[in-house]
Formats: sequence, structure tokens, C-alpha cells
Amino acid sequence: MNPVITCTNLTHHYGKRLIYENLNFSVPEGRILGLLGKNGTGKTTTINILNGYLKPSGGECTIFGENIRHINPITKQRIALLIEGHVQYSFMNIEQIERFYASFYPKWKKEAYYELMDLLKVAPRQRIANMSCGQRSQVALGLIMAQNADLLILDDFSLGLDPGYRRLFIEYLREYAKSEQKTVFLTSHIIQDMEKLIDDCIILDYGKILIQKSVSELMDTFKKFTFKIDDAQPSLPADNEFYNPAVYRGNGELFTFQNKEYVEQYLHKHDIEHSQLMSESLNLEDIFIGLTGKY
Amino acid sequence: MIKAILYKEWIKTRYLFLVVAVVLVAFTAYCQLRIGNVISLRSAAHLWEILLTRDNTFYEAMRYVPLFSGVLLALFQFVPEMQQKRLKLCLHLPLPQNKIIGSMLGFGVSLLIALFAATYLIIFLYLNPILAPELISRVMLTMLPWFVAGIAGYAFVAFTVLEPTWKRRLLNILAGVAFIRIFYLSGYAEAYNQVIVWLLIITLALAGLSFLSVSRFKDGVQ
Repeated sequence: MNPVITCTNLTHHYGKRLIYENLNFSVPEGRILGLLGKNGTGKTTTINILNGYLKPSGGECTIFGENIRHINPITKQRIALLIEGHVQYSFMNIEQIERFYASFYPKWKKEAYYELMDLLKVAPRQRIANMSCGQRSQVALGLIMAQNADLLILDDFSLGLDPGYRRLFIEYLREYAKSEQKTVFLTSHIIQDMEKLIDDCIILDYGKILIQKSVSELMDTFKKFTFKIDDAQPSLPADNEFYNPAVYRGNGELFTFQNKEYVEQYLHKHDIEHSQLMSESLNLEDIFIGLTGKY
Repeated sequence: MIKAILYKEWIKTRYLFLVVAVVLVAFTAYCQLRIGNVISLRSAAHLWEILLTRDNTFYEAMRYVPLFSGVLLALFQFVPEMQQKRLKLCLHLPLPQNKIIGSMLGFGVSLLIALFAATYLIIFLYLNPILAPELISRVMLTMLPWFVAGIAGYAFVAFTVLEPTWKRRLLNILAGVAFIRIFYLSGYAEAYNQVIVWLLIITLALAGLSFLSVSRFKDGVQ
């Protein structure tokens, strides 16, 4: 599959503060890829760079093979954007905003927008400014679906949404993207529900990419191991294969892509007296915590 | 597509347009009421005498009205674009950036020119049966810098609001105040006749400063 988005050696600083350095990733066609990370890891920065709202300190990104700093307007018609917080023209009502955007996009699907608006039960003349955050999210989603773009870029779509609207947004988006074979690149700091939406994920930590894998592979291979430690062991020795090993009140835990045998060998190698070694499969949120740590 | 951008600008500014139109008409009517009073209490000849010998054009009450109109129009047009960085939506539209911003600025300047031209027309139609063409021209030329100041106010507020950093915004405000002050330095009738064309050209050129602010916004300057 051809990559729709490619970033090579992407580096950015805000003043002297390094956000990330030499980031390399690509988003394959027809996949839903989530860029996940804690607050301040550079998710919105990446979206801003990709949309040409921020000049990166170094590196290069392309979308549909064009450098993002000089994207052709025709190519822009193929890219839909959702800004953090579902920002839209709140001084317009739902009819005005549809009329406004329709003239920019030749493949505009008015019915896709109004189908979603009918579920909202808002008056056609109600201004977007007077809607709830959840309703605004549906207006923004409806506009994206009507645009019928090939690539959807969504910045922190879950921000401010209650669980009901978040689920509604995810289900609609997933169904739409898969049935219409769209490529989606999105960010979120709420990982809950995300395994229902994304195919692949990139987990960002401060300054670097921790992992880029398909969600199914990640869930199959990344495990949490827990065990009881007999002697008073304050901490576990470092190992490159382990993420965030820790000891709490005689209970050891660590996260790894390795198997049980590897963990046992590690415990023996370091003469750590232990019992009840168990492995747990994790959901995406737990995997995220396991990789990035709680702090 | 340009039509759609103009439609968006119209939605933002239509109520303000009505308010400004009403205010301009009200001030014009007030000034003309004063002229009418002079004619009915004294005579048209007395009005001519005042216009010829003093610097009073009877429209001084309107001095700052075009300026406030320009400032308010720019605020109504561009503050919503900068709230929650909504300008990103605009810049994501499939049109060249300069075309988008040029259309927005063109809309604002055209709206102001239309309002000011309508005001001028009302004044001309009222004065035409009363005054000699030379005196009408004297009144209109005296008022012209105030209307150009309105466009300058619009240009500088747009430049300032679209600027992404507060530090530069303050500098832009100071530059704007200094430039606009030029239009109010002299209270004499027809004091700006020799320079008004140049001031108008400079003002229209300064409207282009907003492109600089948008370029800085797009580079992510913080």
C-alpha cells in the first residue's frame, strides 16, 4: 500500500525546548492510524506541521507525494481536517455552513451531512455557537463526511466529548472510513475506545516515537507480567526489553514484548526470589500506560 | 469559491453593516439638520459665508465616525477568525492563501467604500440644491481624510488582529495609531488636498500588511 503521509527526520523545537527529533513515520492508504501520546508530546504539533500551520525546525513531510509546505489546492480538496475541539465557524448555522463548504469540494455529499444532522434534533437555523460540544462534534464530523476526502486528519477528536458522543463519533467514523476506503490520521490523548477505531498506532513519548505497530499485533504481543517478590527488593534492574519495571509492596510488574521464559531467565539472572509469575493480556489503554508509564 | 468566502464574511458582518449604515445616516442627518437650521434661522447666504470664511463645514461631528466604522468592521471580521485559531479552517480551503486573505480584505475594504460612497452621495444630494459646486467640493474634500482614515483603521486593525503574537500586536497598534494620527493633525478645511491621494495610496498599500500577519500565523510563530 502506498503511503499517503510520509514524514522523514521530522524535528521540532519551541524556542529551546525540543518537542521531538528525527521522527520517521508513514500512514498507509486505507488505514486508520492513531498518533497517541500524553499531553505535551507533540501530537498537535505534528498535525499543525502536516497541515502547513507550522514550519518544522527540520525534516520533511509529504501528503499524496507533495511537500506539505506547498500543497496544491486540488490536492487540498482530498484532505479533510478536524481541528482540536471541533472548531468550526460557530457564527453560522448548520444550513449556512453546509452551503459555505459545498462550493469548495467537487465531490461534496450533501446527504451524508444532513443524515447526521437529522440525528442531532437541532433546528436548521440554530447557530453552531449555541450547540453543545457533542453536537458541534457531529457537525464537524458531518462536514468531513460530506467533503468525501481521501484523507481525514483529526486532531484530538475526543476532546470535550462525553462517553456517549465519543462512542457515536467513533462508530460513525469507523464505519464511514472502512466502507469508503478512506485513510485516517488522528490524534487523541484519550485511549479509551480507541481500539474500536484505529488499525495502527504510533505511540509518542517525549521527544521520540516509542512504537509504531498495528493495534492487533500490539495487543497480541505486548504483555504485562506480575510476580511476588520474596525479599525486600526496592526496584528491578533495568533491561532494554522491559518497559516501566516496578515494585510496589512486594509485587513486581513489568511490560514487555518478550515471553514468559525471557522474564524467568531475567529474574534468575538477577537472583530475584519470586513466585506467582503471571502474564496478562492488555487493552490498548493499559498498553499505552505500560509503554509510557504512569507519570 | 470566492463567492463562498464573501458569503462567510457577509454572515459575520451583516448586522454590523446595518448598525454602521444607520450610524452614518444618523450623523449625516444630524449635520444636515444643523445646516437646515442655519438656512431657516438666518439664510443660505449666511451658510455660504460661514463655509467661505471659516473652517466649519458643518460635518465636523462625523470626524471619527468612519474611523470607528473601519475599526469595528475589522474586529467583526477577523476576531472570530483568530478565536480558537479558526483561521486554520480558512487556510485549509482549497484555494491559494493569498486569494483567500485577499478576498476577505477586499470584502471589508469594498464594504467600507460602499458605505462611505453612499454617505457622500447623501451629502451631495442634500447640498447640491443649496451650495455652489465649489463649496460642495470644499465640504467633501475636507471630509475625505476622515473616510480614508476609516480604511486605514480597518487595515491596521486587520493587521493587528491577524498577527499571532501579542508583542507584535502592540507594535502594530502603535504604528497604526501613529499613521492614523496623520489624518487628524489639521482641523482646517481642505488641509489635506495636496497629500490626500498619496495618503489613500499608502493606506491601500498598508491593507496588504495583513498578508504578513497571516504568513507569520502560518509559520506557527508564537
